Amino acid sequence: MASFNINGQAVTVEADGDTRLLWVLREHLKLTGTKYGCGIGQCGACTVHIDGNATFSCLTPLTAVEGREVTTIEGLVGDDGHPLQRAWVAEEVPQCGYCQSGQIMRAADLLARNPDPSRDEIVTHMSPNICRCGTYPRIVRAIERAAGEGGQ
Amino acid sequence: MKATDLLERPATRRGFLRGVGGLTFAVGAGGMLRAAAQTSDNDELAPNLWVTIGADDAVTIRFGGTELGQGTMTALPLVLAEELDADWDRVRVEQVATHDPDYGNPRAFRYLGEGILYTAGSQTLRGYYEAMRQAGAQARKVLLGAAAGEWGVPASELETEPSVVVHPVSGRRMSYGEIASFAEAPEHIEPVDESEFKDRSDYRYVGTDILRIDVEAKSDGSAEFGIDVQVPGMVYASVLRAPVEGERPLEVDGAAALEIPGVLEIVVIPSGVAVVAETVEASIAGKDALEVSWSHESRFRDVDSDAVLAEYEAYARDTAYSTDSPLWQDVGDVDAALAGADRVIEAAYVTDAAYHAQMEPMNATASVSADGKSAEIWVSTQSQSMAVMGAAEALDTTIDKITLHLPWVGGAFGRRTEYRQKDIDDALFVSRQIGRPVKVIWSRGDDVRDGTFRPLAAQFLRGGLDADGRIAAVHQRVAAPSVLEYMNPPRWANARGRDGIAMNGAQETRYTIPNLRAEHVRMERCSRVLAWRGVASSYTRFANESFIDELAHASGADPLEFRLDLARNDPRGRAVLEEAGRLADWTRQRDGTALGVALSDYGGASVAAGIAEVSVDEGTGDIAVQRFWMVIDAGLIVAPRNTEAQLEGNVIYGLSNALRERITIRGGVVEQSNFHDYPVMRMNEVPEIVVKALTSDAPPSGVGELGLATTGAAVANAVFRATGARVRALPFTRERVLAALREV
Repeated sequence: MASFNINGQAVTVEADGDTRLLWVLREHLKLTGTKYGCGIGQCGACTVHIDGNATFSCLTPLTAVEGREVTTIEGLVGDDGHPLQRAWVAEEVPQCGYCQSGQIMRAADLLARNPDPSRDEIVTHMSPNICRCGTYPRIVRAIERAAGEGGQ
Repeated sequence: MKATDLLERPATRRGFLRGVGGLTFAVGAGGMLRAAAQTSDNDELAPNLWVTIGADDAVTIRFGGTELGQGTMTALPLVLAEELDADWDRVRVEQVATHDPDYGNPRAFRYLGEGILYTAGSQTLRGYYEAMRQAGAQARKVLLGAAAGEWGVPASELETEPSVVVHPVSGRRMSYGEIASFAEAPEHIEPVDESEFKDRSDYRYVGTDILRIDVEAKSDGSAEFGIDVQVPGMVYASVLRAPVEGERPLEVDGAAALEIPGVLEIVVIPSGVAVVAETVEASIAGKDALEVSWSHESRFRDVDSDAVLAEYEAYARDTAYSTDSPLWQDVGDVDAALAGADRVIEAAYVTDAAYHAQMEPMNATASVSADGKSAEIWVSTQSQSMAVMGAAEALDTTIDKITLHLPWVGGAFGRRTEYRQKDIDDALFVSRQIGRPVKVIWSRGDDVRDGTFRPLAAQFLRGGLDADGRIAAVHQRVAAPSVLEYMNPPRWANARGRDGIAMNGAQETRYTIPNLRAEHVRMERCSRVLAWRGVASSYTRFANESFIDELAHASGADPLEFRLDLARNDPRGRAVLEEAGRLADWTRQRDGTALGVALSDYGGASVAAGIAEVSVDEGTGDIAVQRFWMVIDAGLIVAPRNTEAQLEGNVIYGLSNALRERITIRGGVVEQSNFHDYPVMRMNEVPEIVVKALTSDAPPSGVGELGLATTGAAVANAVFRATGARVRALPFTRERVLAALREV
């Protein structure tokens, strides 16, 4: 069991403390935008923010988020949208789309730290996340677009 | 088909006919006209199976493929909307989520004489294109006829603007919705002649960058994929799968698993031992706690993939050996031409097994009825038809007892083309036993180890050069298992031994070579096998185009000039070669890098030229691909931006495979298990990619797999020009590059 904030709302989850945050989010809280890809921190499909830091939720036990602020794609986009989400649409980034929540969460972490990243900085920062469809060139463009529009 | 037949059809068709009432046009995917169906109330016009127009001006267009990220769920309705002259902003796309042969892909194989809904092989836009145009044009004609009758003017005086019929002489206008509110579809509609279709220069949407309809939901986390499905009363199952194909559990000790809170039951199913639990985490923990002893009787226990590949190569090289497969290609007299050639060149190429690595692991949710004879299933698939037929077979029932729900698909690349998709089987068998709906999620490790791979292949090529240095003959022997035999037994039964999944691309050439032969030397499979992105072209074209380079070298010709000469009778092939060469600045001297080129047909319709620029670290054997250019001609480009994205994506997929991706098997066990030991290309490894689609008059053909058909050979050919080393084993691992360098 753990109590934490999810997308700004307090929540208490009844689950074994070893349960990975990924499954808590997806199956207990029905926030399915965060995806299971590998389970070992190799693909980034499960990326969420914990206290603002991009984190592999597939590696994070529930106990580790006690009292902390967890943000998922649903919370990042919210009702008002997010510059990265709009840039993703404007650049028509997704193909199958499965990895894109994780990509956007990773990118949001970058722009929060570095509002005007170079291309190399984008590439380095984004490389933990795999896109098997190969949308990488579009992801770079979308991040550049969002940064250009001052979006964090 | 009579109107009454339509009304007796279950599921989607009746669903849309009911709706708010109206008028239905009827054209099957094969372009066959059908009588229109009239609904009881009348504020809707559905001129054919594909489109319904509501009195509120809503235009509903049906999509018979599945959207895998390739964009056809937008492109096909767009083609229909274009001919209909519909207002795209009023279009709603409806997924056909059942096996209904009338929505079958005209280019897919048929099953029991009927159409199949099947999305694979870059055949969806190409396959449905004419049906979409015809359906749109017919629907427009019906609207024009109805408006003409209402106004008492000849239809020839009418024009359309998006979703509006206009009579310029009188200035009268009527929206499609207004017409739908009174019009009736005629009993029979003649096919619209090609000459009456819209001229391409008049297109409003086709050829422009219309936003794909799936992009918004895929950019905010709201798109529901198969793995996201949750249904009331659902439980979870994780399956401990047999370590080696064909083994079965002898003893199952589930005591520790059953002690885990939330674990409900342990169920033995054909694929292994399933732990059923109230939560997903309990099902995973339960699986990890299982103690199972497995049989040791499977022939796959003896599989060592390196040894198998060597064996395949020996069979490929033994030209006296043949299997009962019919010749894949046989033009001219290869034997005589080789015997009479000035020089004969020979080379063998081998390719390892490859894993799809689609981002969404296999998973399915099923709810089987108490009698075990009907089910609802929720699954990501490339074929509504296969999913329904496979499920019906699994439950020994009929297809009308299977209700399919089709969520978004998290990558496919062939992984979801199986006749009996194993994730569906798992969910059905567990649900049937426990009497509750269940979601089965494969771990990534299971997805790899129980992967359905592109098969191992060894190819032997012989080519004859005449005294002028031109190619007189090429003979290609492809030693590989039948993929179809495993992937789709009913289809294999009707294939007459021709396995297009194992052989596509072999000698399917744009070149003028007077004597050609390709043969399938059919081997026993050593793993599960399935269609993989590019189908067979990632290995057949690697061999073909590497070999063309070897022949060019033997004749002392420049590789690009040699190909331009070979493609002398194929203007489209020449054009893409010339443009790729121009973009890459082929003749420019480079410092430390070299270019390699490959040309490939795909499916007898699309053509692509790829050029790789590489450098090779001769100390480590590392290949660095700096740039890749690909120029294609795929006929009409319906969606330019999406086409570019597809091309970039399939170049990346192809380079990833050519450089590193490798499945190996020891003792029947797949040695890889996740992205750390099956590394796919990441962003920091992507070269600069330049893609360009030439426009041509041809109808649209596939763009989703051209990178697979060109990257392997282009890189290998570039390595040769950089170092003089010929790498004939794909992927081009360090060891293989170093070995090739030692032979220089």
